[in-house]
Amino acid sequence: MSRRRHNLTVINNVNGYLFLLPWLIGFIVFTFGPFIYTFYLSFTSVESNTSGGFDIDWLGIKNYNELIDRDIPEFIPSIVNFVIMQALYVPVILVMSFILGLLLNQEIKFRTSFRTIFFLPVIILSGTVMNQFTSRGIGLTNFGEVNNNLIFKMIGNYTPFLTEGLQFIFNNFTMVLWFTGIPIVLFINALQKIDRQLFEAAQIDGANWWQMLWKITIPNIKSTAMIVSIYTIINLGLYSINARYNGIMNIFDILNRDLKNVTKGLGYASAEAALYSIVVLIFVLLVMVIFREKYKPKKFESLKERQIKNLQRIQQRNIRNEMTIKQFLMQIKDKFSKKGDKHSGK
Amino acid sequence: MENKLKLIGSKLTNFYKKFNFKLIRKKLLGIKTTDGLLFKVLVYLILIGISYVFLFPLIKMVFMSFMSATDLYDPEVDWLPKKFTFEAFKIAFQGLNLPKTLFNSVWYSTMLAGIQTLIAGLTGFAFARYNFKFKHFWFAMVIFSFIIPVPAVMIPRILMFTEIGNYLKGIIDPNFTMFKTIYPQLLMTLLGQGVNNAILVLIFFNFFKMIPLSLDEAARMDGATSIQVFWHIFIKMSVPIIVTVFLFSFVWNWNESYTTNIFLQSRVRLLPDQLSNFEDAFNTLMEKQNDDEVSSRINESYRMAATFLSMVPLFIVYIFAQKQFIEGIERTGITGE
Repeated sequence: MSRRRHNLTVINNVNGYLFLLPWLIGFIVFTFGPFIYTFYLSFTSVESNTSGGFDIDWLGIKNYNELIDRDIPEFIPSIVNFVIMQALYVPVILVMSFILGLLLNQEIKFRTSFRTIFFLPVIILSGTVMNQFTSRGIGLTNFGEVNNNLIFKMIGNYTPFLTEGLQFIFNNFTMVLWFTGIPIVLFINALQKIDRQLFEAAQIDGANWWQMLWKITIPNIKSTAMIVSIYTIINLGLYSINARYNGIMNIFDILNRDLKNVTKGLGYASAEAALYSIVVLIFVLLVMVIFREKYKPKKFESLKERQIKNLQRIQQRNIRNEMTIKQFLMQIKDKFSKKGDKHSGK
Repeated sequence: MENKLKLIGSKLTNFYKKFNFKLIRKKLLGIKTTDGLLFKVLVYLILIGISYVFLFPLIKMVFMSFMSATDLYDPEVDWLPKKFTFEAFKIAFQGLNLPKTLFNSVWYSTMLAGIQTLIAGLTGFAFARYNFKFKHFWFAMVIFSFIIPVPAVMIPRILMFTEIGNYLKGIIDPNFTMFKTIYPQLLMTLLGQGVNNAILVLIFFNFFKMIPLSLDEAARMDGATSIQVFWHIFIKMSVPIIVTVFLFSFVWNWNESYTTNIFLQSRVRLLPDQLSNFEDAFNTLMEKQNDDEVSSRINESYRMAATFLSMVPLFIVYIFAQKQFIEGIERTGITGE
């Protein structure tokens, strides 16, 4: 029997790794290795030599110095813009896709056709299409101008920063919605997985729709919300609304130029990429921290324990009430004298 | 007079008594909040409004591509053009070099998608069915490979393929380079590092997990090997999910421009790539023709027509396979565990 079990684990290991093998090799060679190597390259200068290969020389932190203080600041503002964009877009996309998923999960007519419309951007959205839409003269993504709206002016009197953010979102509302395709479907999937009995039990106890939404639905889709946010963060980085987009495309430009004459070559570009990926990873970590499952083990007292506790409390109170001040002072004296005895005893 | 007033008053009270407010209230607000008519109307209003915002650029694109040059600069014309012309489509068709680029894009995406589907299927199967060592670690790595931004791995990949090209130069052909060919992307896809590979793996993983274990145990009892189990039980059972994954992979490979730009460098003209270079292509086209009738300056109408034409193949795929796309994700999800 034990031998058979041993065989099974061997089979599991061998077959598992056999099926995994192509991905495993690819992951180590094309993703994990390069990821580490980018960080190494960011401390070097990479220039092509005459034989067609590359010369890699150690530079130290020169690339990073150049990134941070240059005569014409380019990297830092773009990364700040990137952070602001992510911070604005991700919550809006998350909330919008949740609301739409919730509405589509109801029993309504034309449910499938609405779903089809909302999923359409996933199919047609590409970097080039987005470039065409957002390019000058067309501006199809500008869904009406809201800049001179009275409400915005009113808000602007108090917090100009908030107004800018709101205007940004409303001006690019179509683009925001175009990123909700897969999140909506994920939310629908998560909503359907929630146990129906929970809702029924809550209904019997007299909970209304709003209460059920906050107490049952939202806690149950927390993990989906995390995945949706991570997906959105990654997906947003791939399009030209990303402020770092031009910097990313930089590698392509460097490749097309003559590598020998480029002072800031691939080493500089990899320093950019390294910092950029650190920012993205920090964002992902932040999302993971926000949506983590909180384990709060609640201590449930049994009825007996609670009764004993209450009884003790009542007893003490009674004793205290019955005591006169004299007795109280005596008690304290007793305590101190006992302590004193202990000390002297030692 | 008094009598008349009394009559009207009594009629009104009768009417009021007959009028069933409870029923109306029940109809409007419902027993539960979600039943009521008002709620339904609100839901439909929100959904229709948002669908309009979704489709707004597309509708405008279609109308714009039918406009003539005079319509474009006419402030009266907002949505519907005064005169529908197909001129822009003609220009866009030539500028995009449509038959050739379409053919290129189709075979290119089909090949990469086929390979990617196979590899993602194998990987998903491994995670769903076998308990090998460090399984959870590698599973976390699948997600990690999705989180890493592509630019962060691109430069070493470029160096690597240059070196491989240099090595192969000595063996095959002195003019050989890995760049400007499909090989780099083919190799990466073959080793499971294609576009959004992690999502496809997760879709397969969730699907294979839903198939009961007893099924392949029964097959094993009858003496089937792992490969046989994989083929006869899982592949034949999971045709719908394979179609879904293939379609996603196809669309993503079609729309991918970053990696393609770096490795293929426009040697093989793909449709999205041609669209991004449409302005140049248009100018060279106009130099050749010297046609006075067509306005030789590029305008929005031409560009929108080109964008529309480049989307048409994807639209067709979506119309026919819309169910697979949505239900594939909705049923299995990519969230898992």
